[in-house]
Amino acid sequence: MMKVKDGDLDKLGLLFERYNRLLYSFFYKKTFQPEVSEDLVQSVFERMLKYRSTYSGSGAFTTWMFSIARNAHIDHYRKHKKHNEKEELDEERIVGSNPEFGEIDERTKRKRILELALARLEEDKKEVVILSRYEGLKYAEIAEIQGVTESAVKVRFFRAMKDLKGIAHTLSEEYSDE
Amino acid sequence: MNKKYEKLIAEYFGSELSEEKKAEIEKLMASGEIDLIDFKAMEQLHDELDMVAVPEPSPEMSNRFYQMLEEEKASTRSSSNINIVEKLNELFAAITMPKLAYAFVLLIVGAFIGSWVGNSNSELEELTTQMQAMREMMVVSMLEGASTTDRLRAVNISAELPTADEKAVRALLFTLSNDESTNVRVQAIETLKKWSEDERVREGLVNAIGVQESDIVIIALADAMIELGLERSKTEFENLMKERQLNVSVKEKLQNTIAAL
Repeated sequence: MMKVKDGDLDKLGLLFERYNRLLYSFFYKKTFQPEVSEDLVQSVFERMLKYRSTYSGSGAFTTWMFSIARNAHIDHYRKHKKHNEKEELDEERIVGSNPEFGEIDERTKRKRILELALARLEEDKKEVVILSRYEGLKYAEIAEIQGVTESAVKVRFFRAMKDLKGIAHTLSEEYSDE
Repeated sequence: MNKKYEKLIAEYFGSELSEEKKAEIEKLMASGEIDLIDFKAMEQLHDELDMVAVPEPSPEMSNRFYQMLEEEKASTRSSSNINIVEKLNELFAAITMPKLAYAFVLLIVGAFIGSWVGNSNSELEELTTQMQAMREMMVVSMLEGASTTDRLRAVNISAELPTADEKAVRALLFTLSNDESTNVRVQAIETLKKWSEDERVREGLVNAIGVQESDIVIIALADAMIELGLERSKTEFENLMKERQLNVSVKEKLQNTIAAL
């Protein structure tokens, strides 16, 4: 990134090749919308170019990148004012494109329950789970991204897992009745 | 019950526990201060999260990125001082491009009138051949142009050519080894891949490995070699690793490519 900052813009291509899937996965797990996720990945790289002069190189590059990604996601939903409809849309998307619960095997059923539970989780909690569980970031790095203390992130993670367990349990009961 | 130890449990799941704290958590579970059933259920859920799958992004995502990068580079360049040679090249491109475009339009109009008046198959075939020849000429000429955008456009036009013409293949291989823009080179690889049944193309792609400086082009060539199953490229990649100080990630990628081939 320092080379991009110094004017070697081709190096951004290398960063894109290295991180585009990681970012796509981050946005997909947040939104469950492939097209929106692709738009947001593009937005992150546009912002990297636009704000390249602000990159100091002092912390980890991924922390800086996910901070930009987080802001891009917040701006996207603020701009489209769809935040309140989001969870409903996510759930419709996950359930809608698949066959009925009674027709699928146990593993697929569990997978869908987990996706629905993740979609229903509060945004900040969901983000901690994604960054820690899927992207492998340390709590200290997540704290920097979310602008809170490391201690607060740990509490947030524990509560997210607890909520997730509760939601998954409720969904399992709901669908076992179907 | 586990609420009191939420930070400690979070550290356990984040693999951030020291040996000392690991012993502490085991002790708390043994004494019942941490509810074991609750803890194990959370641990199982943590493992199960692997089931949440992510689809592949579309190739359009990559195309959009490189287009944006190209535009940014163009605007950066235009804001800086352009040297005299570049100015002359641009002037030359400005003179030739409209002429070529005009000729192309005339040819299309001619083809339309011809098919309307004559309606003869042989004439149509002849016109189609002429149109393709014209396209190829346009491609070759545009590839020599000064503007990166034009050269990128030329490579894209060449991708639409139904067959691999010798001149177009030669021009694209020359572009792959000599063009100053990484994006043009990467696009040339994509186009050449479509003509990979042609031995000249396969040979040209392998030979182009040794002359590349850009990490992105080397990676794109590595991907192409795997896709086309060109085993003979292994030697080229091995030489590249011996002779150059490559970036760690590129080196890793090449080692994986060689192993895959």
